[in-house]
Amino acid sequence: MKYFKLPDLGEGLPEAEIVEWMIKEGDSVTTDQILATVETAKAIIEIPSPQDGVIAHLFGQAGDTIHTGEPLLEFTGEDDDSGTVVGELKQASANPTADHFFIGAAPSTQAYSQKITPFVRSLAERLNVDTGNLLGNGQDGQLTADDIERLAKIDRTHRKAEPLRGVRKQMARNMALAHARVVPVTLCEDVDINAWAISEDITIRLIHAVAAGCHLEPALNVWFDDQQLARRMLNPINLGVAVDTDQGLFVPVLRDIGNRSLQDIRAGLNRLREDVIQRTIPPAELQGCSITLSNFGTIAGRYASPIVVPPTVAILGAGVIREQVVPIAGKVVIRRVMPLSLTFDHRVVTGGEAARFMRAAIDDLAKESIS
Amino acid sequence: MSNAITMVEAINLALRSEMQRDSSVIVLGEDVGVNGGVFRATVGLRDEFGLKRVLDTPLAETMIAGLAVGMAAQGLKPIAEIQFMGFILPTMEHLIGHAARLRHRTRGRLHCPMVVRVPFGGGIHAPEHHSESIEALFAHIPGLRVVIPSSPARAYGLLLAAIRNPDPVLFMEPKRIYRLNAQPVENSGEALPLDTCYTLREGDDITLISWGAMIKETLEAADQLAQQGINCEVIDVVTLNPIDHQTMLASVAKTGRCVIIHEAAKSGAVGAEISATLAERGLLNLRAPINRVTGYDTVMPYYRMENHYMPNTADIIDAVKVTLEFS
Repeated sequence: MKYFKLPDLGEGLPEAEIVEWMIKEGDSVTTDQILATVETAKAIIEIPSPQDGVIAHLFGQAGDTIHTGEPLLEFTGEDDDSGTVVGELKQASANPTADHFFIGAAPSTQAYSQKITPFVRSLAERLNVDTGNLLGNGQDGQLTADDIERLAKIDRTHRKAEPLRGVRKQMARNMALAHARVVPVTLCEDVDINAWAISEDITIRLIHAVAAGCHLEPALNVWFDDQQLARRMLNPINLGVAVDTDQGLFVPVLRDIGNRSLQDIRAGLNRLREDVIQRTIPPAELQGCSITLSNFGTIAGRYASPIVVPPTVAILGAGVIREQVVPIAGKVVIRRVMPLSLTFDHRVVTGGEAARFMRAAIDDLAKESIS
Repeated sequence: MSNAITMVEAINLALRSEMQRDSSVIVLGEDVGVNGGVFRATVGLRDEFGLKRVLDTPLAETMIAGLAVGMAAQGLKPIAEIQFMGFILPTMEHLIGHAARLRHRTRGRLHCPMVVRVPFGGGIHAPEHHSESIEALFAHIPGLRVVIPSSPARAYGLLLAAIRNPDPVLFMEPKRIYRLNAQPVENSGEALPLDTCYTLREGDDITLISWGAMIKETLEAADQLAQQGINCEVIDVVTLNPIDHQTMLASVAKTGRCVIIHEAAKSGAVGAEISATLAERGLLNLRAPINRVTGYDTVMPYYRMENHYMPNTADIIDAVKVTLEFS
């Protein structure tokens, strides 16, 4: 039963006062287990449970009066009022889950369009050709035996095409997306770094320069939502640092470079690099970058047009430091210079903002020392 | 979740909602009024809408159907309940001979916007006639829509669509899952589309097609197979007549393999119709024969053999493995 009503306690007594509950809501009880003591006009009586069950609700506290026949407590479990006398329906007990469905075909089914006959498919399997999502030259894009043979020939002459995986696949996707959406402009300049000590930490200087640029022109440290045409000014400068490995390009994120000490930044950078090389870097460390630095000068190259990856709007590239003949006050001198390339998304950042960012970065880099 | 309700409660919600919205909607059947229905599907409706809109009929299914056809032809929207599918047979004269062809017979002058709601299917330890799954007899009839929900939220939306449809709809309610899987259902008054399949789970290794209470076992099988790296696409047919072959063909084109699951006996069931059409129009994409997991070609047995008769999750998983091993 669901509701346990106060039984007739004898001699037609109309009511009883609850003295004490022996159980509480949520308790499991067994038949004859004492549920409560109640006081009638005549005596204090114990009320045993009529059944096994779990207590859902108590209809009164100690001191309350319950009339004979009124509900004393409620058991959980099978709904007494299930109506039918025919058959037994199982009750829901699992956690409620929301409904999830597609009307009609699933998205991947709608996108699927490959047409191939069983014969051509078995030919592809015999010749070890991966048909993937290819469309062929047959009717309606159907793959024909000729298509398969042509693909097999390419595979014989050259190496088999390997599908991109992991970071490389991600890079192919991200760069295509960037190309489709970003309107890039690249500003190039050389910085005279002759004042630097021989063993100056180049990356730290570059990081510091980016922070200096962002402090002067926060417009380059933003996220751009091109669907809403909204620009989110970001407060900490979270610098993505491009790291090259044999698996591909990783861009771990150094957080809040504007407010950390140089030693802290160097330690953080080393840790990130180590994690990347060991493949132990957690995905969270690769997300949330607000502006990027690419120091390809460790390898080769002077100027570049580095790619801005949405939702960021700027990326600074640094090339190989070289000795350069420069005219100063009418005389020829040789100075060490570092080439910089700043790409910005002109949908969001103006030329003036970018140029001032560049100026601040250059001024910071030209200093003899920053520590 | 506070507004999580079961399928039978969702049906009650849909009935109440549409009766509030449209005063031509009438509910009739055995025990639907004062008693609130033997499964409590119509509880509270008599109190809210009165005896002129919630009719307790005599124990006479032919009369219930005939009454509904007459009401519908004359501008009302009757929702007749047949208490168990085993008792629907006397209604067939009216449903097939008249309701399904009224529009055709009168060249559109009259039409028959009636709904017949009927709990169906086994697995509830009930006596004879109370576990029938004979949807094939009705899906065969041109002009008679057959709609089968499999979740509370979809039961709500599909029942609204059935009531609003201008032609007769047989709304079959899988009673084994009436009270399982409570879900949040918003009383939005929005109908879901009929005449289309619903894809409940996306996958590209094999297509599992089912309807009604078997969707529960099909989804469970898909979950277990996913742990073994086999990704199943699960399609709920929902409307068995007119059936949406397009969605099923497209899915089998993608996966190349298909298992159809239904509780009804194998021969001449709706699974046979689906299988024939997939073979006819989708042959080029098949990598293995279409497999069917169904009830046996016998009368539904009594309690002790019921679990043996009804397809279960392990049967579905076996069929999937056999299909995958074919080629």
